[in-house]
Amino acid sequence: MTELSRSAPQVSPKLGWLTSQTQLVLLVTLFALCLLISLAAPQFYSVDNIIAILRQSSLVLIVAVGMTMLLIAAEVDLSVGASLAFAGVVAMDVTNKTSSVTLGVMAGILFGGGVGLINGLIVTKLRINSLIATIAMMMMLQGSVYLYSREAVQNKHLQPLFTWLSTGYVGPLPLPVVVTAVLFAIGYVVLRHTTLGRYVYAVGANEKAARLSGIRPARIKMLVFIVTGLLTGLVGVILCSLMNAGQPTAGRGFELTVVAAVILGGTSLTGGRGTLLGTLLGVLILKVIDNGIIILRWDQDLQMVIPGFIIVIASYLDLLRKKSNAS
Amino acid sequence: MPQSLEARVDRVAPIPRLAAMFRRNETVLLLVLVALLVFFTIGSPTFMTTRNITNVLGQASIAMIAAVGLGMLVIAGEIDVSIGSLVGAVALPLVVIMNATGSLELGIISALVFALAIGAVNGYLSAYLGINSLIVTLGSMFVIRGGIYIYTGQKAIPDDLALESFYQIGNGRLLGMIPYPALVALAVFAVFSYMMGHRRFGRQLYAVGGDAEVARLAGYNVRQSKFIAFVLCSLFAGVSGILLSSRLGSAVHVSGLGFEFQVVAAVVLGGVSLAGGIGSLGGVALGVLILAFLSNGLGMLNLATEWQQVITGLIIIGAVGLDELRRRRG
Repeated sequence: MTELSRSAPQVSPKLGWLTSQTQLVLLVTLFALCLLISLAAPQFYSVDNIIAILRQSSLVLIVAVGMTMLLIAAEVDLSVGASLAFAGVVAMDVTNKTSSVTLGVMAGILFGGGVGLINGLIVTKLRINSLIATIAMMMMLQGSVYLYSREAVQNKHLQPLFTWLSTGYVGPLPLPVVVTAVLFAIGYVVLRHTTLGRYVYAVGANEKAARLSGIRPARIKMLVFIVTGLLTGLVGVILCSLMNAGQPTAGRGFELTVVAAVILGGTSLTGGRGTLLGTLLGVLILKVIDNGIIILRWDQDLQMVIPGFIIVIASYLDLLRKKSNAS
Repeated sequence: MPQSLEARVDRVAPIPRLAAMFRRNETVLLLVLVALLVFFTIGSPTFMTTRNITNVLGQASIAMIAAVGLGMLVIAGEIDVSIGSLVGAVALPLVVIMNATGSLELGIISALVFALAIGAVNGYLSAYLGINSLIVTLGSMFVIRGGIYIYTGQKAIPDDLALESFYQIGNGRLLGMIPYPALVALAVFAVFSYMMGHRRFGRQLYAVGGDAEVARLAGYNVRQSKFIAFVLCSLFAGVSGILLSSRLGSAVHVSGLGFEFQVVAAVVLGGVSLAGGIGSLGGVALGVLILAFLSNGLGMLNLATEWQQVITGLIIIGAVGLDELRRRRG
């Protein structure tokens, strides 16, 4: 069973040298980018700008925490963009109808969780490839959000509490950044220091071996789909609060940004390998580039082109490192 | 390895052993298609008219051409999600060169060369450098779409000369009946369906997608086969893009957005496994037709386009789920 022995070291969450080196490369890249941009545009290092970068990173990072776990478990969810738009619409609508921000927020998060649950059921019970299952889910959500509401749902009661969700501050930091930090820390501890986290790696590295050692892969995968769904719902709510309206068209292409950041962070598409620290660096690199393009007044459409090159180069470097490591 | 090489070779050898299953899969899809046609004929008086049917075939053929290319690539065990961006991008060299030279032929040639170049890059990075093709083509999807936006400044580039021949390739009909795109699709489908089913070309792609190592030991050039599949996939997406641009009458910067999802859906609905090595172009063609008639028929029943998306999603999950169940039993 060469298959098993080859993937056995990957099951361990302590990936040691190999991954720490991936992260080192990412960290150096991040610093180099910051340095280059700040040389060209000194205002890069203003407090306002750094907070803006963190605020933009936080939305992507929340979903990326779930997506990292999904990719480690050898699954993927492309419906997150469509789901977060719908969750925002639901959150705004429930808030308007009940005048309760709490209920609205809950509804949005639970909506996302529900989508995650259905995705998980389709993938584990019907055993449909998650790429195609979540593309189908994306189509259904994009269609049905318009059936639910033809236009953006506005914040009718002008509830300041709802706007505070995205614009509020805890001390010097914006609320979304604080929420993201907390969620990231929880995800980091669970994935790296608990049995559950180890199971996620085991299921993704070798599902058969995991089953033979007494893990139930379907349950682990269900759980990760639901977690990703709940996090997506939360981001839907925050984005809705930021725009002060539930937009059915919000989040188009969001899924690709998240997947790009996770892959850039060194998580393998074939499962079993990846870390949340890598994902954090991946998100920050992409958002610093976005920010740099704006600050340097370059053509904003470069925000699509440059990450495209970066994903491919990053995975090629990763491949080279794996090869030199194997020989 | 638990299985002997012979056992694995036996499992991979696709055509004779799995033939019965393919036939069954295609029969199911055909029945679904016939059921849809009957249902819509009863539901709407204008559905089963020559005009409407040829209309749908004209629309379906643009997806069909790209789906033949993607189907072969997925059978070879790889994927290309950049075809939507490519469909939009080939319109730029086409319209720009046509406007500059006044020659449709030069425009088409430069569009096809552009598509070939993209396919060669995708193929080189995936097949020769060994980077996961989903990542590579996700990257080129971003790069190409961003490139279109930068070049056009997010505006459509009109066909300044309003060439009659340019209008005709996408909108014209042979004998006033059969749309030209449908003829192109039929030709592409017939040639490559034959190649996949009966020639070394097809056996090679099935073998490479089924088990690359066994294919290598059997003497096939794995990298080259995959590279060729990438180039053909991009080339066919380029042809789709040219026809679409003729229908739109210009190079539209947002054209082809989401097209890759439609085509992937049709290919998978047609019974091609994303794991590679399994499926047939006949199934792919039925998958395209089912989705095209579904969207047209639901429109005729005055159902909102949003419902069409929801129902399409449900049908994909239903069909792929059933197929998966049958495979596990069988």
